Order: sequence, then structure tokens, then C-alpha cells
Amino acid sequence: WLLCFAMIRRVSTTSSLSATALGSFMKWSFKSSHFHGESLDSSVSPLLIPGVHVFHCPDVVGIVAKLSDCIAAKGGNILGYDVFVPENKNVFYSRSEFIFDPVKWPRSQMGEDFETIARKFNAMSSVVRVPSLDPKYKIALLLSKQDHCLVEMLHKWQDGKLPVDITCVISNHERAPNTHIMRFLQRHGISYHYLPTTDQNKIEEEILELVKDTDFIVLARYMQVLSGNFLKGYGKDVINIHHGLLPSFKGRSPAKQAFDAGVKLIGATTHFVTEELDSGPIIEQMVERVSHRDNLRSFVQKSEDLEKKCLMKAIKSYCELRVLPYGTHKTVVF
Amino acid sequence: MMMMRRIISERATCVSKNFILRSSASRFHGESLDSSVSPVLIPGVHVFHCQDAVGIVAKLSDCIAAKGGNILGYDVFVPENNNVFYSRSEFIFDPVKWPREQMSEDFQAIAQRFGAMNSVVRVPSIDPKYKIALLLSKQDHCLVEMLHRWQDGKLPVDITCVISNHERASNTHVMRFLERHGIPYHYVTTTKDNKREDEILDLVKDTDFLVLARYMQILSGKFLKGYGKDVINIHHGLLPSFKGGYPAKQAFDAGVKLIGATSHFVTEELDAGPIIEQMVESVSHRDNLRSFVQKSEDLEKKCLTKAIKSYCELRVLPYGANKTVVF
Repeated sequence: WLLCFAMIRRVSTTSSLSATALGSFMKWSFKSSHFHGESLDSSVSPLLIPGVHVFHCPDVVGIVAKLSDCIAAKGGNILGYDVFVPENKNVFYSRSEFIFDPVKWPRSQMGEDFETIARKFNAMSSVVRVPSLDPKYKIALLLSKQDHCLVEMLHKWQDGKLPVDITCVISNHERAPNTHIMRFLQRHGISYHYLPTTDQNKIEEEILELVKDTDFIVLARYMQVLSGNFLKGYGKDVINIHHGLLPSFKGRSPAKQAFDAGVKLIGATTHFVTEELDSGPIIEQMVERVSHRDNLRSFVQKSEDLEKKCLMKAIKSYCELRVLPYGTHKTVVF
Repeated sequence: MMMMRRIISERATCVSKNFILRSSASRFHGESLDSSVSPVLIPGVHVFHCQDAVGIVAKLSDCIAAKGGNILGYDVFVPENNNVFYSRSEFIFDPVKWPREQMSEDFQAIAQRFGAMNSVVRVPSIDPKYKIALLLSKQDHCLVEMLHRWQDGKLPVDITCVISNHERASNTHVMRFLERHGIPYHYVTTTKDNKREDEILDLVKDTDFLVLARYMQILSGKFLKGYGKDVINIHHGLLPSFKGGYPAKQAFDAGVKLIGATSHFVTEELDAGPIIEQMVESVSHRDNLRSFVQKSEDLEKKCLTKAIKSYCELRVLPYGANKTVVF
């Protein structure tokens, strides 16, 4: 469980690097006014840019007061705030969305200010992210033969709907260079690594080497099981899409399992990967109705449509800092 | 789905004693009929399940048309790679032109001709209502829902009795309701060693099917064989996830983002019989166990009611070894 959400701690340390952040200053004037999808009237400064802060600490009186004051003191304006304190559990979660003037509140100062509060409250997690300044998340995508999820992600990435840097695509399945995916990847300069696996050799060290500089990994129908060794070695979050409604139909061919079971609803589940197959904390689930009129083919087709939506939603939530660890086996998703 | 065969033989005996009821005919589809349509048309439903062959629909529809019946809805389903045929027709007819007994014989002739596994015709306004027994343990939200719907006329059955392994004081809502409507309540205690299945069997032997509305005891294969008719259960989890006890708590601990309920036929294996209906609702970190349970209960009520309604309307048919067709 310690493996998961490890990245959140990493991000909070990298966010204090100011040298590279200042280089992206030029970008903020274009992005700021579109954050909420609303047009800002002329009285609002066009120099305000959005920031997100998530906080997770033991519960006490005064956390919201301190956090909101921290933002207000630097002229930041909170536009959205989610707080969650579970019953019978002495923990606090918050996620705030705010806009601020990076001249009044420089990025590195922001990192320090939140860090101070994090220490004060012994936070398990304190992450601030300024999408227009901070480097995009670097991710690697792993898949086997089925590529509908990968294609969906690549297209959404191309449309600017997936705000990440795709460092590479890794597959244990070879693809000819004249296929849609290979041409797409080549056109965008994303490397494709064919790493065939066998029963005895999962080539995990090679994979680890390829992904070590990423912020998280997405298994987009990668059908090999990653070992505990790999997960520890990687140390950051791995997100998987399972084309079944967990905990039903773990393992292979869940659409066929569902078809044989005669269920009336099929689903897809996005979750964090742990050592145990298809058992990590669930991030998102979606369903669709099926009936006697569905054959295996339509079960699979509906499954695939669900997988694409479910995986995209989960990754979007993750990138927006909406997903936090909750208990040993669950997630808070703001 | 054993009941269907019993009904075929029973149909022959019940005739025109309920002729007076046919005045409810004109409201079958919820539409007003203009004055040129005879007000004595009543609805009928026929389901058919046989080996697939050319000409079944032609024969069935001709059978109805020949007697002046008008088909208002028709569902046919022939699965891929499976040489079976399912149909369900809704029609209105004049019981003077097509007497109830004759209708049974006419469909029976077609059933024989096609070697049907199943042929059931039902005329809701003439045929006796389904007789059912309801079994429950401590949780009574499903029973209460069914009793209220029954009272509102939305559950077209005769409730012969309620059986529970949990005692209820006479001044409780459920007990007063049952007393007011003359429905007997049988408190049948069970222990690990004695499930008192013989006594239950005796109480329910004249029913058409059973509904387990949160009855937490497992009925043995012996009981199911002895009873011989359909038993419908509501499981407050999205099968095959969370079989057995406390599925809401299992779901809560598992951190799922969707919870559900499943209505299914009971077989020897716990929570594994053919599924009739499933429903879900979203849950999040903001839900505690209490709200998981509450959402679960709301789903159970809807899911069970829907399944029973489908069953009574002859929409549920066996499909393969462990599935259902639900028209």
C-alpha cells in the first residue's frame, strides 16, 4: 500500500524547483482565463492562473482556516473547495481550486507556504500543482494486443484533453510500422518498445529502465502481471483498466466470464495496481445494461466502450489531483 | 420455471367464471379506444419456447388472427448459434369468439407440432392470480414494499401467507397490515440443525412460486426439488460479487464505486441461480456503511419488484444453463 500514491510525495518536492518553472511563465497568459470554462469579465486581471492543492493529514480544528488564509494572504481566490472527514476516522482531506497572480505569489514561494502548513499539521500528503507552470506528468503506456484503450488515450492526448507527456509506449505484442498506432506514434515522436514476455521472463528490468523517469504508468490492457518486485522498484503509481466490474470477473476474459454468468449489467473498473491481481484500490467504475439479445461480441464491444471511458475518467481525475488514498484499500475521489 | 408447465394443464379447467371482469379490457394499453372498437376485448399473453424452425411466427400469429385476436406486441428472440426460438406476444381478443378453453387447446396444438419446451398462455382478467408465499427473516423493507404495492394493485398476485424465522410483535406495522388483509403470518424458527423445511413445504405447496424477500436461510436442494416450482430471491449485492452475508459491508470494505442488487432464481448453490434483474447506484468516499446499506435497500426494493412484475407478465424465460431471457 505504501507503493501507491508515492508520487504525491515526489511531486511535492519537485514543485519547489523554481528554475525550470519560471521558464514556463509565458504560457500562463493564454491558459488562465479558460480554467473554469467561463468568460471572465474585464474587471478580473488576465494574469490570474489556476492552482490546485490537496491536503491529507490527521484531523484537528483549524486546518481549513489555515489553508484558506494561506491562499488569501497571497491574494489567491478560492473557486472550489472540497473537504472530507470520514466518520470515526481522525483524518482530514481537502482539495482546493484557486486562481492567483504568480507575480504576487511566486511558484516557489507557494511550494514553501504549503509545505509549512503540511509540517504544522503533520500531513501525510500535501501537493500543490499549477497546471500552466508545472511540468506535465510524464507517463508510459503499456499494452498487449488489444489497442482500443491506447488509441483512445492517444487521440484524447492529441486533442489536448489528456494533459500529460507520453514518454513511450511499451508492448509485449509486435506491431507493423504501417498500422495506425505506429504511424501515429512516429508522427508524434513517441517511442514504441516491443518487449516480448515469456512465462519465465517478464522482462521487468528492461521495463523498469524504460519507465524510471515517468510520474506514473498506465496499463491500457497490458495483460502481464507486474510483480511486487517491479512495483517496489518503480515506487510510483500504476493505474490499470480492468474490463469487468470488480470484484466480479477478475483475471482473464472478464467479458466472457460475464456472458457465461448471465449478468444483466457489465462494467469496467479502473484501479491502482498492487501485488494482488485486480485487487488494488478502485478509482472509477462504470456499467452498461446487457440482455439476452447481447452475444459475446456485443458484450465485448460494450466492454471496450466502457473501458475507454472509465480509464480516461480515472486518469483525468488523477491528473487533477482528485484521487487520494483512503484507508488500506479505498480511494477518495473528489 | 417449472411453474409454466403446471399452468398449461391448469388452464384447461378454469373457464368463463370471470367473464364479468372483462370490462377492464379497454384500459389494457393505457390508451382510450374509440367507439368503433368493441369494449369486450381483453388482453392475453402467450410465450413460446421451442426448437427453431421456419414458420413458427406464421403459425402462432395465424392462430391468433384466425380467432379474431389482434396482436399488439410481439417479441421474438433466436440466439446466435443456438437452435432455439423464443417469442412473447401480447394480443387482445374477444372471449366470446375465442373461449378461454379453446385458446389453450389451440396453443397446445401448436406446442405439440413444434415440440415446444414451453408454451404458456395467460389471460390476466380471467385466469386466477398467481398464488405466492413471501419468506423473510429480520429485515422487512422488501416485504413492506411488496405488501404496499400489492395493496395499490401494482402486484397482481394473491399472497397466501408470509413465513419468517423471526418473530414479530402483533402491534407492528407488518403484523397489523397482514391481519387487516387476512394474510396469515407463520413464525417458523430455524436452527443450524433444523431448517424446518418440511413444515415450510407444507405451508407453500399450493403456491405458484415463492419470493425470498431477505430470507436469510439457505433452502436445500431437497426443498427445491420437493417444491418443484420457481423460487425468486433478492440479493443485495451485484452478483457474482459479494455472495453470501452482508454484501453491503463487503462492498463498503472493498471500496467499490458502484453498489447493486440482483434478483435471481434460487438453485442449490448459494446466490448463483439465473439472474433476472440487476440495478446499480453510485457510491463514493462520502458514503459510510449506513448509506451503503440504505442505498442497497432502496435498490433491493426496486429490483425485486421489477423482477416479480416481469415474471408475472411472462417476460422471464430460461436461457441456456444459467441465464434468462427477459422480454
